[in-house]
Amino acid sequence: MMRGGRSLVSSPPAFSNDAKKLLVCTSNTVSVFSTVTGLLITSLEGHTALVTSVIVVPPSNPAAKVLCYCWTASLDGTIRYWDFSLPELMKTIDIRMPIFSMVIPSFLDVPAEENGKHQDLFAYVSIEDAKETQERTKASRRQIRKCNLSKSRLVGRLILGETRKPEVLTVSPSGKFFGIRNKCKLHIWKVLDQGSERAAVRKITLHHTKKITVIAFHPTQRIIAAGDVTGRILTWRGFGNRAFAASNGVADQKLINVQEDKPGVRDNDDADSCSTWHWHSAEVNVLSFSSDGSYLYSGGKEGVLVVWQLDTGKKKFLPRIGSPLLYFIDSPDPTLSSISCADNQIHLLKMPSMGILKTISGIKAPCCYPDMYEGLGNGIAFDQTAGIVAVRTENYCIQFYSLFDDRGVSEVQVCERNHQPGDDVTVIVTSVALSIDGSLMSTSEVKLAEEGIGGLVCLKFWDAGSQNKEFSLSTIVYEPHRDAGISAVKFHPSGNMVVSSSFGGDFKVWKCNHDVIQNDQMRQNFSWTCHAVGSYKKKPMTAAAFSADGSVLAVAAETLITLWNPYKNVLLAVLGETLTPIVNLSFVGKSDNLVAASCGSNPQLSVWNMSKLSLSWSYKLHIEAVASAVDLSSFAALVLLPESSKKTTFKGMDGVILLFNATDPVPTVIWSVRKAKGGALCFVQVSPSSVEEISIDGKAPEVLLAYMNGDHEYVLFDPYCKDAREVSVSQKEGLAAHDHKGQAGQYGYASIYGELPEFDRKRPEAPWVPSFPSDRPWETIFSGSSHNLPPLTKLCSAFLESLLEKRTAAAE
Amino acid sequence: MAEIRAEEPASTISKTFLIKPKLKSKPRSLPQTPESKYWSSFKSTKIPNLVSSISSLSFSPSPPHLFAAAYSASVSLFSPLSLSDGDVSPSSTISSFSDVVSSISFRNDGLLLAASDLSGLVQVFDVKTRTPLRRLRSHTRPVRFVKYPVLDKLHLLSGGDDAVVKFWDVAGESVVLDLIGHKDYVRCSDCSPVSPDLFVTGSYDHTVKVWDVRVENSRSVLEVNHGKPVEDVIYLPSGGLIATAGGNSVKIWDLIGGGRMVYSMESHNKTVTSICVGRVRKENDGAESMEDRILSVGLDGYMKVFDFGNMKVTHSMRFPAPLMSVSFSPDCRTRVIGTSNGIIFAGRRKGKENVESGRVGNVLGFESISESERRVLKPTYFRYFHRGQSEKPTEGDYLVMRNKKIKLAEHDKLLKKFRHKDALVSVLSRKNRENVVAVMEELVARKKLLKCVSNLDSDELGLLLTFLSKNATMPRYSSLLMGLTKKVIEMRVEDIRNSDALKGHIRNLKRSIEEELRIQHSLQEIQALGTSRASSVNLFSGLGNLHLPSLQTSLTSAALLTSASLILMFGNKSRMAFVNFF
Repeated sequence: MMRGGRSLVSSPPAFSNDAKKLLVCTSNTVSVFSTVTGLLITSLEGHTALVTSVIVVPPSNPAAKVLCYCWTASLDGTIRYWDFSLPELMKTIDIRMPIFSMVIPSFLDVPAEENGKHQDLFAYVSIEDAKETQERTKASRRQIRKCNLSKSRLVGRLILGETRKPEVLTVSPSGKFFGIRNKCKLHIWKVLDQGSERAAVRKITLHHTKKITVIAFHPTQRIIAAGDVTGRILTWRGFGNRAFAASNGVADQKLINVQEDKPGVRDNDDADSCSTWHWHSAEVNVLSFSSDGSYLYSGGKEGVLVVWQLDTGKKKFLPRIGSPLLYFIDSPDPTLSSISCADNQIHLLKMPSMGILKTISGIKAPCCYPDMYEGLGNGIAFDQTAGIVAVRTENYCIQFYSLFDDRGVSEVQVCERNHQPGDDVTVIVTSVALSIDGSLMSTSEVKLAEEGIGGLVCLKFWDAGSQNKEFSLSTIVYEPHRDAGISAVKFHPSGNMVVSSSFGGDFKVWKCNHDVIQNDQMRQNFSWTCHAVGSYKKKPMTAAAFSADGSVLAVAAETLITLWNPYKNVLLAVLGETLTPIVNLSFVGKSDNLVAASCGSNPQLSVWNMSKLSLSWSYKLHIEAVASAVDLSSFAALVLLPESSKKTTFKGMDGVILLFNATDPVPTVIWSVRKAKGGALCFVQVSPSSVEEISIDGKAPEVLLAYMNGDHEYVLFDPYCKDAREVSVSQKEGLAAHDHKGQAGQYGYASIYGELPEFDRKRPEAPWVPSFPSDRPWETIFSGSSHNLPPLTKLCSAFLESLLEKRTAAAE
Repeated sequence: MAEIRAEEPASTISKTFLIKPKLKSKPRSLPQTPESKYWSSFKSTKIPNLVSSISSLSFSPSPPHLFAAAYSASVSLFSPLSLSDGDVSPSSTISSFSDVVSSISFRNDGLLLAASDLSGLVQVFDVKTRTPLRRLRSHTRPVRFVKYPVLDKLHLLSGGDDAVVKFWDVAGESVVLDLIGHKDYVRCSDCSPVSPDLFVTGSYDHTVKVWDVRVENSRSVLEVNHGKPVEDVIYLPSGGLIATAGGNSVKIWDLIGGGRMVYSMESHNKTVTSICVGRVRKENDGAESMEDRILSVGLDGYMKVFDFGNMKVTHSMRFPAPLMSVSFSPDCRTRVIGTSNGIIFAGRRKGKENVESGRVGNVLGFESISESERRVLKPTYFRYFHRGQSEKPTEGDYLVMRNKKIKLAEHDKLLKKFRHKDALVSVLSRKNRENVVAVMEELVARKKLLKCVSNLDSDELGLLLTFLSKNATMPRYSSLLMGLTKKVIEMRVEDIRNSDALKGHIRNLKRSIEEELRIQHSLQEIQALGTSRASSVNLFSGLGNLHLPSLQTSLTSAALLTSASLILMFGNKSRMAFVNFF
């Protein structure tokens, strides 16, 4: 049971006091990365929901720098105190309300001057009060509360503020103020004396006309910067002079009000001046003052980090980061800082020069394309032997991600284009295929036409050198199927053949001629040429698959399955037919079964027997992905649950993984999962070298099933090990897996049939149904190329036989 | 040497991609062999305007290896050195001939030149002064060849249409031997490179005879039958093999083995007119060696290079006229070919100009004055500021590589600044159509192409229309450009109507499209003949009958374009089918 692919950028990370470690919130855990190597050191496990804040306890004196304590807050309603060097949980405070954000200002403010007098530690938290649903409107359930960490409780009924949405608290580096944004307003509180629990905190509000997205406090002066959705950066200087400094005397305030000229300050806001900078074209996501307060860092959707000189407004840029920026965190080491990007990467920057030292690379999120291009797969390909997944990313890249190591391996630029986050999508990488040994890759891309001109489909073949695993382009085919889009690309098991099927009604088999060029170093030169073209009644070809031994090529011509000899390009047989076009074909390991999944209004999962050329069994299921192991006779299917059953029985789970034995329509195991839309499945072979790491409950599995959900989070588990399933129930809370099966095989079967009664409808009574529709057999008998027709004697007998059969059926 | 410290490499994520044209498919054929690379490295110079067929070419055996060309009734001497400077005028011309010069031959020291003409006269000239020193008259019919033996300065060999080969004593202007045996015109001969007494002659009676002047009865010592009238014969450098050219074939004979044919090379399509020995530089495991080849030229306009060690043709080169004569310089740097219409194709390789002269100088004891001691650099010298820049790194040095700077073309820079229209105009004015198409594709990807088109002013629109009229019908680009052309005309009708210059461009565009339509129609007819696809023929004939109205106002050609693009779509297919069919 391994999990991975979690988001590294759900919450801001935090540096340890010596800047050697970076604490990153990764869903239920906090992962500690080394800033030197960029690798995972350890993780803090204990929270049962998303961790939203991590705060490292700053050293009270220089000697304490080596101490590694941190506070974390999570949506499970607990605040925990950790020693992250061991790692060890020290303390848990349960406030029973989901915490969206937490700040502890007193760390930053108070030097630990007093020995005798023990001071309580206070945190301010942004929570959702779930208990009081009945009494209050939903709008005001999100509250800012004060929490006494020393006494492990919330401070009485003190509610500092209420907001419509959960807001992120921002604390000033000096620890004197903290604030939130609330639509077009800023609320700033001044933290008063620490000692008293009840001391009322004072609050001021600053106004703006646009929705504010992010705020930042100046480390030394009373300056606050805020970014809004239009890309403006506002800087208020001297905020709260009246409310915070002059603590008494209403009359004084009025006097000041009259006298002072406050440029740029709106209404009656409590600030000296407000200035505006505008460079960003879209909303500002990142604002941060440098530790000496002379620079302001800002960033946003453009993926450009801008450094503003605070006094002059001069700018410096770190351009083309390639993804919207989310957080910028300064480290205690002045030469190191980090930026988190929306594509799940954390870059460690060398500071004054802003060069990137290391990248902590998480799996990139799926790219969301507007629904404009048909036949778009999920763009996920697995390397079964090495346990590597290739996912397409937004910047026309293929990211290779190691499932076992849970980190990015490499990235291949498929289209040589400069990516700008937020651009219109005009070039789409539509499909990725990897050969079984993972050394060859094939990608297809589509350039969308502008008002009907200039569209282009491109098929590319890549090969990885023997030493380095960097893929290099070997062949480009422009318009492989004229202007028709490519529906599927599949590799032959031997790796030197590729089939590409197109919606234009034909498929092509590409063959690799590779010659070794003997110049300075051995270099293999792969070049791909078209070996054969096939089509069946001009029907759009929607899916393709090679059998495990490579002797049969199955291509789906909409609702029919055509079987070909890939070497001689001879049509062997036609299987038919399903109700809706087939979108996924897969041979089941070494067995003679073929799985076809069709989608649409009448989705279907059907299993065909190759030796009898007939349908074995089928279900009416909406299949998202099918995976079969190379040398097993079973396959797994990821099923999207229909809307009706989702709410009632599966508690928010929207998909199930069914593990079938190919000959048996009864699934052997069932797991239910979340976010199945856009998910992928694969059997991953366990290499002997990595067995020790993966061994589950003492014994090493041969094959693991990898499930990747729509957000590219994944889980690896042994589908045949019962104990592992027990483990999975206790661990998988957030992502997946309620094991419905338990010990008895009948339970799972009963459950699936209990929930989804419509499954029975299509379940055939007789296991073997001839694939010809029995009323008019001559339509399919004679299909196929004329030179390939069986001899007349055979045809006649088949024809007569079908007639006979029909008669008997009618007689019955 | 001090160790160079590595600067800490700070990687950046920023990448810049240039706008590159689509890749072209590589030819399926094998890449150029080293040998054909060698033969292509002869930089060809054309020496035109010699009056008629170049009957003979000959190189002087002594440096700087002048070559002489015989054409009409004159002989011109050319210097290969001036050829590399692009000077194609002859350095000197001898024109004291009464008839067409048939053959020329240098003596082995390069001081004398013998020339024969069709009047039957053989003359010997001083190469420097160009004065005729001896006139050898004995032939009664036209003389076809004259040859100085390789190892003999005193005698000459000539033969002609009287079927007699004569061996001359040059000094006394007298015939030493009359060699009788050929039954038809004698056309060619060559003297043995290893013996002063042996030579071969080839005749139109299909035979090649080997003669030895020491044999008393003046009979040939050996005879081989080529099977076709022999046009040329040469000794191969070993002296044991000869090559004969006649008909379409070049044959190699082993003389020591008693006149056995070794190989017959038949790769010419027409008569082989001349052969000579060429040399090619071979690199085997780093050691450089020269290998001999036979260069043959024929009336089919091909020069073939034949490797008689491996018995295969290693290179072949086509010239635009029937070729008459070929010669290869002894220093392996010049190769000249004469055509039947008075053009010499002289090819010259780059190399060290004075390799041989330097060697000669050393032999004679002249030492080149050694370079004066390098002056000590002072800050007043300009060179002082460049010192050390060309220093080569030594083994153990750690090199700090600077990232290669990406060279941005002007349109790249403009595209980076999102000045789309300027980028399009800039690349249109550069005349590189692949780049233009690449920029257009990039603009399509940015969804800005039509915006650009609507923003073009009238001059720039003219530029675009010129480009389109030239390239819209090219099959490679037509899928993009035909659509674009249609859009451009639709969008800019008003502007085109108001400008005469633009109307002219549209007229050109119409003409090129009509031309393409014609081609497509004829191709369809051929395809209809060749294949029996009933449906496609019907379709094409239907399109073929489509009467294309002569458009009075060129602005309505958008409709024409629609049909043209349709036809082009099928037409490209049919063009391919056409190629496959034949």
